[in-house]
Amino acid sequence: MSAIPATRTRAERRTTPGVRIGRRRKGREERRSSLLTLLLWVCGLYFAFPLVWLVVASTKDNADLFTSFGLWFGKRFSLFDNLATVFSTQNGIYLHWALNTVLYAGVSAVGASLLATMAGYAFAKYDFPGGRALFSVTLGAIMIPLTALAIPTYLLFSSAGLTNTPSAIILPSLVSPFGVFLMRVYAADAIPDSLIEAARMDGAGEWRIFWQVGLRLLGPGVVTVFLFALVATWSNYFLPLIMLNSSGLYPLTVGLAQQQAASAAGGGAQALFSTVITGSVVSVVPLILCFLYLQRYWQTGLATGSTKG
Amino acid sequence: MLAGAMVLTGCGAGASPSSSPSASAVSQADIDKAMQTPTTLTFWSWTPKMQDEVDLFEKKYPAIKVNLQNVGQGAPHYAKIRTALKAGQGAPDVVQMEYQETSSFALTDSLLDLAPYGAGDLKGDYVPWVWNQVDQGGKVYGIPQDSGPMGNLYRTDLFAKSGITNAPATWDEYAKDAQAVKSSTGAYMSNLAPNDPGQLMGLFWQAGLKPFGYDGNKTVTVNVASPQAKNVAAYWQKLIQGGLVSVDPDFTDQWYQGLANGKYAGWLTAAWGPVFLQGTAASTAGKWNAAQLPQQNAGEQKAGNWGGSADAVLKTTKNPIAAYELAKFINNDATSTNQLATKQFLFPTDTTVLKDPSFVDQKSDFYGGQQVNKLFAGISNNVDTTFQWLPYMDYAYSSFNDTVGKAIADKSDISASLDAWQKELKDYGTQQGFTVQ
Repeated sequence: MSAIPATRTRAERRTTPGVRIGRRRKGREERRSSLLTLLLWVCGLYFAFPLVWLVVASTKDNADLFTSFGLWFGKRFSLFDNLATVFSTQNGIYLHWALNTVLYAGVSAVGASLLATMAGYAFAKYDFPGGRALFSVTLGAIMIPLTALAIPTYLLFSSAGLTNTPSAIILPSLVSPFGVFLMRVYAADAIPDSLIEAARMDGAGEWRIFWQVGLRLLGPGVVTVFLFALVATWSNYFLPLIMLNSSGLYPLTVGLAQQQAASAAGGGAQALFSTVITGSVVSVVPLILCFLYLQRYWQTGLATGSTKG
Repeated sequence: MLAGAMVLTGCGAGASPSSSPSASAVSQADIDKAMQTPTTLTFWSWTPKMQDEVDLFEKKYPAIKVNLQNVGQGAPHYAKIRTALKAGQGAPDVVQMEYQETSSFALTDSLLDLAPYGAGDLKGDYVPWVWNQVDQGGKVYGIPQDSGPMGNLYRTDLFAKSGITNAPATWDEYAKDAQAVKSSTGAYMSNLAPNDPGQLMGLFWQAGLKPFGYDGNKTVTVNVASPQAKNVAAYWQKLIQGGLVSVDPDFTDQWYQGLANGKYAGWLTAAWGPVFLQGTAASTAGKWNAAQLPQQNAGEQKAGNWGGSADAVLKTTKNPIAAYELAKFINNDATSTNQLATKQFLFPTDTTVLKDPSFVDQKSDFYGGQQVNKLFAGISNNVDTTFQWLPYMDYAYSSFNDTVGKAIADKSDISASLDAWQKELKDYGTQQGFTVQ
């Protein structure tokens, strides 16, 4: 969850012209401000706090969870037992949910970044009738929380007979108004009009210019949108909650919430607390790995952008 | 929450319950034919491992395939049912449904009356008060699955430290013991959850109150602020304000911790509580004991209920006979009901299981070898049989949280909050087109 605000700050920095992070650090070292450092540390702790709690809690069994101090380890170290339970409860349905999540988030992120890039490029580089109006509509769409659209979307999908299918999750996630906005701003700066002109002179078609010239310069922006869409779909709870009925189609968010609810079901309850917590830890690991990996592209993208631009 | 709110407005005053049963009495030949026709049923239930009972059913009726789905528990479950009904497709055939929800779904004409399918004959198989929860004037809206007659779970070690040898027999004794427990151990006697109306309603039920009533048609009775109700409220208010009973929301982290670390010396809970506690407070094994609820007067044996559910059939089903047979099989077949009680620890509603030695004679080490099931099986017979619900319990419970729940949490005037709740319930009933008494 804390990943979203973190990316947002990064993306904002990225899109603010003139700020280049990570490159000029050496020259500024003497001008370090202790107040700022302290503030950053506080922010860092704030974001790390829930994660630390989660990781520590994942090493506890049910008894320790409710009797020991939250930020330190309990009497027994049960991480491996918990992991075993996570993958064996309800015949290992966790793995199934994980694969569903990868499928939904992966397809949605690739699709959403592609669509947003194309749309953003078009808005930035072409003048066409209604372009401004359409872009305003896109901007307006950013203001509408996805949750508010969930019920109309459900009714729409229901009449199309698409509820309780993977496309009920993937199709709505393919549209990312914020991604379009981001790509428009990015494309306006990153691709010089003269370059497009030059490509046209050389006889390249518009389609080819986009794929071979535009897309390469847009790399870092595409990665940003990709990560946004990935996190958004990965952690989406409400949409799959209302769209899906079969446990076999659930992503991790809904599945884990269901196991959590089973712990408090009253009659016939199963105490799955440690399982849910450990399951949550496992569910964020792929996202963290993805961030660490794609960060490189971000930085190299920045670097190439700065020399070529 | 959103889904619930949106669909609630959708199923308001306009719908009136249809009076004609959808089918006349079904013959054995019809049943045999239906059960041999290849059919797929969808069953929404949040009961863990319900697949085991579904497997039994599919083994008995190989032509019927059951698609068991867990779409959530409590509010999300009902919201999904309503959304699916509203969307006109995707609704299941059989649904698990808590007793207090039945009349609101019956009101929108969403539930199939099971009496023409033979459900009326099952009446004798269930504890009378439970049967009354699903039977509305001869119309049967579900087959009872589990129940939650209330008792008192308490920490024998903390009681012993406070010089208490027996579970309090009366509410006066309970208050006195609470003082002793507080001064000797620092623990709260128990916790009254501000977020869980079911607990206080169970206590109302035990006190013989009739806070709600519904004639099955257009008349509802709201009586949550009666003098007797205010007596109950005043009793708890005193304990809460005296620091003897805590007011943590239940089924939360803080509350689980309280159960495990001795913050609470007891829990007034339902028959599903004992097994639940074993899972959450495993480290306190052997320190607990169970007893019936304290009584108004010594020697009485009155009980209330908290929770429990039935399996109902939605009217939209295309296979009503098979759907009914599934709901019946799960909760009436001897193997299935025994399994639900002894393997999944649902507290039974079926009188056969409630007498079955394999269930009642079980000794629980967590409770120092006590035969907890036997105790609760006895309590189940003492539950008042005439307790009713409103046909808008979703609203009633959310309104409870804003009024009474808030007063409990703030340790303020609970009696006054009952008046506020009464007013909200009456206003809402009138708005929805009911005659409110």
